[in-house]
Amino acid sequence: MQCMAHLGADMKGLGAETTAAAIEVAGLSHIYEGREGKVPALEDIALTVDAGRFVVIVGPSGCGKTSLLMMMAGLREQTTGSILCGGKPITGPDPDRVGVVFQEASLFPWLTALDNIEFPLSIRRAPREERRKRAAEMLNLVGLQGFGTRYPHELSGGMKQRVSIARGLVQDPPVLLMDEPFAALDEQTRMTMGHELLRIWDETGKTVVFVTHSLTEAVYLADEVLVMSARPGRIIDRIDITLPRPRTYEMMATDVFGRLRDRIWQQIRKKD
Amino acid sequence: MTRLQIILVRFALLALVLGAWEMLPRLGAVNPMLLPPLSDVLAMLAQLLGRAQVHEAIGVTAAEVIVAFVIAVPLGAAIGVLAAENDYFGAIFRPMLFYVFSIPKSIFLPMFILMFGIGFGQKVAYAAFSTIFIVIMSAAAAVESVKADHVLVARSYGASPLQVLTRVYVPSMMPFLLETLRISMIFNFTGVMIAEMYASRTGIGHLIASWGENFQMPQLFAGVILLAAVAIAFNETVRWLEARCSAWRT
Repeated sequence: MQCMAHLGADMKGLGAETTAAAIEVAGLSHIYEGREGKVPALEDIALTVDAGRFVVIVGPSGCGKTSLLMMMAGLREQTTGSILCGGKPITGPDPDRVGVVFQEASLFPWLTALDNIEFPLSIRRAPREERRKRAAEMLNLVGLQGFGTRYPHELSGGMKQRVSIARGLVQDPPVLLMDEPFAALDEQTRMTMGHELLRIWDETGKTVVFVTHSLTEAVYLADEVLVMSARPGRIIDRIDITLPRPRTYEMMATDVFGRLRDRIWQQIRKKD
Repeated sequence: MTRLQIILVRFALLALVLGAWEMLPRLGAVNPMLLPPLSDVLAMLAQLLGRAQVHEAIGVTAAEVIVAFVIAVPLGAAIGVLAAENDYFGAIFRPMLFYVFSIPKSIFLPMFILMFGIGFGQKVAYAAFSTIFIVIMSAAAAVESVKADHVLVARSYGASPLQVLTRVYVPSMMPFLLETLRISMIFNFTGVMIAEMYASRTGIGHLIASWGENFQMPQLFAGVILLAAVAIAFNETVRWLEARCSAWRT
């Protein structure tokens, strides 16, 4: 009986995991202690990201959206509140559950593109053969076949971010956190990279949380946009982006697209 | 200009200087007592390299240089890393280190003689002292060259503190560390030479100083060529390593 109960509990656990939200943030606040005393940086954040969704967080600079993302990655600690990923709390960096793509790529300049992609696996001391194989697969996924032996300084800005995305995905985590990954790119490269990211997301089925301050990028990429206010950062609106997929460049010229972008803009402006 | 042209011009200039060194004293344009012809100097060098006294001097100088280097570089690197990584230590000692760094070290030589005499210990102590400050400065700069972003990336992929050190700090710092080695050897070698020339009973520096005092110009120039060759060989070896380790730097 006990055995059966145990099995039942296990199965229930499994079931819960597959239906649970990929990320659940509840009652999260953060107080930053600087030279001028305590400053509330994030206030009462609650959000749920369902598995497989593409969620974009937008907000004015300094609203704490990057801090929030770093907390989801386990790289920074919040003052109060909880973050669950796959039903379990985040207490520190966990590359099995969460991959991170940083601003400006942050590739290691002394490693080739392939070695950069392999880095998370080598930290875990995965066997060399497996590392090579996975890294090559990821390189293909991001469309950089033939560039594996290049060093970062030999790659363009867009290519560096492709490598960075490959690095974030190499351990096959269910969640990919992206911190303004295309902010440093020129407009055209940015559009192409957005399109590429949607293709990769579609192929891999990951849950993506994407931080940006570009409204166009937010509407173009997202299933759902969360709008944050200026400091202290709070979530002031949640907008479902109902545009059909696959998204196309032409959609940007439509009324629906414009109205969605305007709504976000009104929300951000209101708080200023 | 192509690379080949540059190399050809360099060799032409070198040949011109060496040719002038050989011909001007022989033609009487320069007093051969002051500048002996190159061929005489090279013959003297070959002869000197066969003498037991010179062997001993080279051995002593080499030992002084190596011991001073082995003391100054790890100690200076440790202090430099501490000054860069530990805010408290850095805040207290940084200004002092900068002040002492700016003083010409040779003015302390008489004190070293009073403290250590004129033997092996004094050469090592003075050379290590004149080297350590540049090592401290360079090591601190090397630590500061490590990007916080890179540390964050490594941590986000679950790197332990030891892995952050070996996988991020060491490769980031490697080009700077090799440069530190190279520059500290220049300071170190200079320190030993100055100490030997100032007051000593043996060593290459001492021989060069006494040849100069006794107006033995062929010996003096032979000594200069020997030291120059050793210094350039070390410098170029480390520079080559540096270039290999920093191919990723643009």
